Amino acid sequence: MRLIFKNLNVLRSTINAISTSLEIKEIVESAGNNLPNLFDFSSFGVFWKEELLLFLCQEESCPPSFTQEVVNNMIKVFSILGEESVDADRIVLQIEKRKLRPKQMIMDPKAALKSYLTLPLAVEGEILGCISLHSDQPNAFDAQDLQFFSVIGYQMAATLRHFQRLSSVKNMAIYDTLTGLHNRRYFEERLEVEAQKCLYSNTPLSLVMVDIDFFKKVNDTFGHTEGDQVLCKISSLLKASVRKKDIVARYGGEEFILILPEARLEESFVIAERIRRLVENTLFEVGKTQVNLTLSLGISSFPSHRVKSKEGLIEMADQALYDAKRGGRNRVCIFTGKFTRGAAPT
Amino acid sequence: MPRVVKEEKRGKWSSDLVLDLYSNLLTEIWELVSALIGEAILAFLVASAVRKLGEKYPFLNSLTVSEDGISLDEMKENCRTVAPLEIHRGFQSLINHLSHLFSVLAEGVINKELFPKVFQKVKEAERIISPK
Repeated sequence: MRLIFKNLNVLRSTINAISTSLEIKEIVESAGNNLPNLFDFSSFGVFWKEELLLFLCQEESCPPSFTQEVVNNMIKVFSILGEESVDADRIVLQIEKRKLRPKQMIMDPKAALKSYLTLPLAVEGEILGCISLHSDQPNAFDAQDLQFFSVIGYQMAATLRHFQRLSSVKNMAIYDTLTGLHNRRYFEERLEVEAQKCLYSNTPLSLVMVDIDFFKKVNDTFGHTEGDQVLCKISSLLKASVRKKDIVARYGGEEFILILPEARLEESFVIAERIRRLVENTLFEVGKTQVNLTLSLGISSFPSHRVKSKEGLIEMADQALYDAKRGGRNRVCIFTGKFTRGAAPT
Repeated sequence: MPRVVKEEKRGKWSSDLVLDLYSNLLTEIWELVSALIGEAILAFLVASAVRKLGEKYPFLNSLTVSEDGISLDEMKENCRTVAPLEIHRGFQSLINHLSHLFSVLAEGVINKELFPKVFQKVKEAERIISPK
C-alpha cells in the first residue's frame, strides 16, 4: 500500500510537470526525470507526428542496435495505430542518454528489445503520436505499469493538443491567410530585430519591395478569385527564389516585401533579378487562358544606403520600386539616393 | 416479436439477440480495458477498428463510440434486416482486431487480463451462434 502511495505521488508530480511544460522537449525531459521512479525500463520514447520528431530518453549503456530496434518498433506500432506509413528517413531523432540503472546492471552490448508498452497519444479521436517504454528484459511491464503509463500518455496528449492550438493561434497572427506568406505585422516585427542586429554588428541587410505590374487588370478581367490564385502562385515563386534565412511577406494587396539578412546590394540585386526573370518566364493559368505577368522590384540596402532606421530602409525600397514603375515596369531598381517623391529619411 | 419467438423455437438466433449478446461482451471489454489504458485511448482504438472493418461489415459503422463507452442503440435500429450470422461475424472480426491492437500496443499485458474474463465468452458465443 505504501508503495502505491509513493507511486501515486510520483505520478502526480509527473503529470504536473508535463501539464506545465511549454514545449515538447520540456515534456519529454520532465517525463524522463520522473519515469525512472515509476518503471524499470531501458528506453522511453515520444513520437510527435506533426513534426516527425522522435525523442528517446535511454539508459546510457543502451547499445546502438537496441536504439535501432526501439526506433523500428515505434514506427511500426505508430503506422498500425495511425493507419498511415511513416517515412523513417524523414524522422528527426533526438536521443538523450541517462544513467537509469546502477553500475552493476549496465546493458549488455548485444542487448535486444525484449518487451515494450506503447500507447497512442490520442485526443478527441485524433492521434498525435505515441509514447513507448522499452526493456531488454522479457515481461518487464505489467497491468499496473500500463495503468500508470496511460495516465501519463493521456496528460501528454492533452498538453500536445494545447501546444497545437497555441501554435495555430500564433500562425494566424503571423501568416497571411491567402498566400501563406508572413503578414505585414510579422514583417515589421522581424525587420525591427534584423535592423537592430545589423546596426549593432554592422552586417549588411537588404530589403526588396515587389509589386505585380497591372494586377488590377487581372482582377478586373478575370475576377478576384482568379486574382487570388495569381497572388498565391507568385507567393510560391517568391518563396522558392530566396535563401533559407530570407523573409518573404505580403505587404499589402499585390505588394510583397523581402528581408534579406546579411545580403549586400549586389547579392540582393541578383536575388531580385532572379525573381523578376522567373515571373516573366512563367505562364499563369488564369481562368481558361494563360497570361504573362511581370514584376517591378525596388531595393534598399544597409550599409550602402547609409540609412539609420528601419523606416528609412522601407522608404528607400518603396522609392526604388516607384522608380521601377516609372521607368517602364518589369525591372529591378536600386535606390539611387535621390528621393523623387516623399521626404528623404533622416 | 413473433418472428423472434419462432426463430428461437427453431433454434436460430434473431438479430436482436445477437446484438444483445455482443453488447454485453463489448461492455465487459470496455470496462476491463478502459481501467488499464483509459477511456480516451480505448475510444480511439475502437473507432479505429470500426473504420478498418466498416467497409466489410457496414452495419458496424452505426456503432457509437465515445469516451463514455460503446452504444449499440443506433445499430439496433438500423440492423433489423442484417442476418444474425453476419452480425456475429462482424463483431467477431471487431473483437479479433481489437485484440490484435491490444497485442501490438502492450504485447500480452491487456490480452492476459481479457482472456480469462472475456475471451471464454467470445468462444461460447461462437459455439452457440455459428452453424454446425
